[in-house]
Amino acid sequence: MLSKLIRRTHMYLALFLTPWILMYALSTMAMNHRDFFAQLRGGSGTSYAVESEGAYPGAYPGTFPPGDKPREMAQGILRHLGLDGTHYVQQARETGRLTIYRESPLVTRRITYTPADRRVVVERAVFHTPSFLEELHRRRGFEHDYPLEDAWGFIVDIVIVSIVFWDLSGVWMWLQLAGTRRLGLVFAVCGLALFVLFLSAI
Amino acid sequence: MSFHRVVRRLHLYLGLFLLPWFLLYGVSSVLFSHGRYFEGLYNDGKPNWTVRFDRPYAIDIPQDAGLRGAFGTYRPNGREFHVYVYDFWSATQLKYYADRGRLVAEDRRFRLDHILTGMHARGGFTQSSFLDDAWAVTVDLACLGMIAWIASGLYMWWKLSQTRAWGTFALAGGVTLFAVFLFVL
Repeated sequence: MLSKLIRRTHMYLALFLTPWILMYALSTMAMNHRDFFAQLRGGSGTSYAVESEGAYPGAYPGTFPPGDKPREMAQGILRHLGLDGTHYVQQARETGRLTIYRESPLVTRRITYTPADRRVVVERAVFHTPSFLEELHRRRGFEHDYPLEDAWGFIVDIVIVSIVFWDLSGVWMWLQLAGTRRLGLVFAVCGLALFVLFLSAI
Repeated sequence: MSFHRVVRRLHLYLGLFLLPWFLLYGVSSVLFSHGRYFEGLYNDGKPNWTVRFDRPYAIDIPQDAGLRGAFGTYRPNGREFHVYVYDFWSATQLKYYADRGRLVAEDRRFRLDHILTGMHARGGFTQSSFLDDAWAVTVDLACLGMIAWIASGLYMWWKLSQTRAWGTFALAGGVTLFAVFLFVL
């Protein structure tokens, strides 16, 4: 009964989390070969194109009280644009210009706000599969004030717990298969030896 | 040996061989996922970096500092140049101040979370040493292993006819949830 429970949990968890594991595998390969993919793209970093739809570029109709923090200003602008969500913001020291990166898996936007003329420009990052995968890989939740981000972070935690569970339950299932113990031991010891060699050598 | 048996054995032996990598990536991911919490554990007033030396300097940074190994560079402004030399267990930060002609070396404090996140993030074929490239190959192997587990796991699940209904439910649920996140995040 316990054996069946462990086998089924191992399998159903894996089926449910298949998209995440596939994403982590592909994104890790994309990051491991970042230079290669950058060359394919022509060597340049993320490129942005001004969004043609909507009222922006245009002037932001609201005002910010003196001393308002970049974070609060960014949130106000994003809400006004209907783009509220996970973002990072930078402010230029001299001009006060805000650059907001609104991170979304499929469409990352860069929004710039120039206080002098209250001009807002919304740009969309040109979609690039390796960047899309890397963005998903690095997304971890619990760092922003958005419940959806925390929900994603919760799923990431489930993936982490599942990885440890798959390791332990896999070893347990292997030990139940008497016919595979010897060869399995060879693979496990070789893998461990190689890992330890790397730890001590680099 | 039947194809079914080959797939089962591949799933098993690949898992056993790559167990340390999979365990490393799993455990170290907690440190990324809950970075703030673990950072708080080390918020004890001790500096993360300790000055190893601070001396006048002309140029040619890591060689002259007597350091070898994988490194990365960073230029925070026009007057400073940083070289980060690291291995799995330790890291040294060299800061060259061009305007003052000084080189400062700082050693990183020993922190388990930094070691694990460093191991997690290590990869790529950007260093000149053979061993660094070999590690990057094992990272690729771990990724291919994950893809092989997915493919062989799906095959083995499909062969178990009594689990197809619940399995389809779990798989479809996961794919749907993932797709929803893609659109709403």
